Amino acid sequence: MLETRKRFHDELAALQAEVMAEGQLAERALGRSIEALVRKDKDLADRVIAEDDEVDDKYMDVERRVIDLLAMQTPVAGDLRLVSAIMHINMHLERVGDMAVNISKIAKATRELPTDPTVLSHVEEMADIARSMLLTSVDAFARRDLEAALALPRMDDPIDHLNRGMYREVVGLARDPRLLEWGVQMNMVARQLERVGDNAVDIGEQVAFLLTGEFREFTDASHPPSP
Amino acid sequence: MSGVEAVRQEALTDDLGSRRIEVHDLNAWFGSLQALGDVAVVAEPQSVTSIIGPSGCGKSTLIRCINRMHEEVLGARVSGKVLFDGQDIYAPDVDPVEVRRRIGMVFQRANPFPTMSVLDNAVAGLKMVGRLSRGELRRRSEQALRQAGLWDEVKDRLDEPGGKLSGGQQQRLCIARALAVEPEVLLMDEPASALDPASTLRIEELIQDLKTQFTVVLVTHNMQQAARVADWTLFMLYGQVVEFGPTRKIFTSPDDKRTEDYITGRFG
Repeated sequence: MLETRKRFHDELAALQAEVMAEGQLAERALGRSIEALVRKDKDLADRVIAEDDEVDDKYMDVERRVIDLLAMQTPVAGDLRLVSAIMHINMHLERVGDMAVNISKIAKATRELPTDPTVLSHVEEMADIARSMLLTSVDAFARRDLEAALALPRMDDPIDHLNRGMYREVVGLARDPRLLEWGVQMNMVARQLERVGDNAVDIGEQVAFLLTGEFREFTDASHPPSP
Repeated sequence: MSGVEAVRQEALTDDLGSRRIEVHDLNAWFGSLQALGDVAVVAEPQSVTSIIGPSGCGKSTLIRCINRMHEEVLGARVSGKVLFDGQDIYAPDVDPVEVRRRIGMVFQRANPFPTMSVLDNAVAGLKMVGRLSRGELRRRSEQALRQAGLWDEVKDRLDEPGGKLSGGQQQRLCIARALAVEPEVLLMDEPASALDPASTLRIEELIQDLKTQFTVVLVTHNMQQAARVADWTLFMLYGQVVEFGPTRKIFTSPDDKRTEDYITGRFG
């Protein structure tokens, strides 16, 4: 087959590779932020915060190049859907990077406070699922795997469940004001992790649009929560 | 009220639904060379249907079959049906001249009569169809020039030769000439491919205006033009229909891989 737009298609492939690299950076940052939180490791938390510049740089670079492609190459059909997917996934990954930064800041702020093992184990469980979802979503994008993309909302259910239980668990810590203070911060961490799960689901939606050409939300705010 | 709006008002009382074109099992030949194979397509009233595809795919042949121009070529043949208002335009009792009046055509190169005045150019076709008074010709010329979006630019130079207008104006003059005989369908074969970008956009805007009253079929090499102006898009390859559907669908998620490859440039 004669390839008449080779430069354009090479640039699309390069952008996809950059977004995937951004996904790896965001996932690594998320893992390290939780590690810093659990181990009360200030240096690691600072490193996550500093390294977020890398994610931001990639985000800006991809965004600029996507705008250039839209302006100069007028992509259509599968190319248009890929450009749209890259643009959205790029934004979701940048947000995940920011969530890792937020968790790192909380890690630093809660270093001197006592911890509750049950709450902490639930935070870690949520983080494990969120990281796995993020990797699944980026992998589904790379491999054009519709089935994996469609599986993301189910993976998200336990995160939502744990997040909703977190409030009650924290209220249970009220006997000790310092423990309660820590618990309130963990509730915020849980909220960040829940948002990471949502971003991974959104990435899955972009993959599904890329592959099927049909816009649809896997879930939305008005969707009844699963038990 | 502008000329376009006046005709639009008039059109509201007309049955625009009857201006539908249906092509069934259309085959066309130049001698022994088959140019179209089993083509089926529908052009809806009040919409623009664009035909895209690589050179030699049969785009122009198809629209030339829709107003019986194809048969004018020596050795050319057609089989199949082209229904207009439910009637087969190839039926034995149909007058091809009348078909061409009702289904007008605009070509790639603006071809006004260069020394004839702007006013007379606009009604050149009309003069051939029948005898009209000078006053009536003048009225119809103005109406056609308004419909073609040219009136304001030429109203003070109606007696100048058509050849003195700019390229874009000459093309709109040809559109006026096609409109003056009051067709119901407008076939446009690459109407903007010889024009500069501003004149091209002007023609595209005009096509959007015209589709409120006419069934428009547009052949174009410019895929972005099809994306901008067409409601329906037909993609052809080797004389056959590959895909026909809403333009939005063709340009965001076509069903056929050959369409995808062509419009994304993975196919020469």
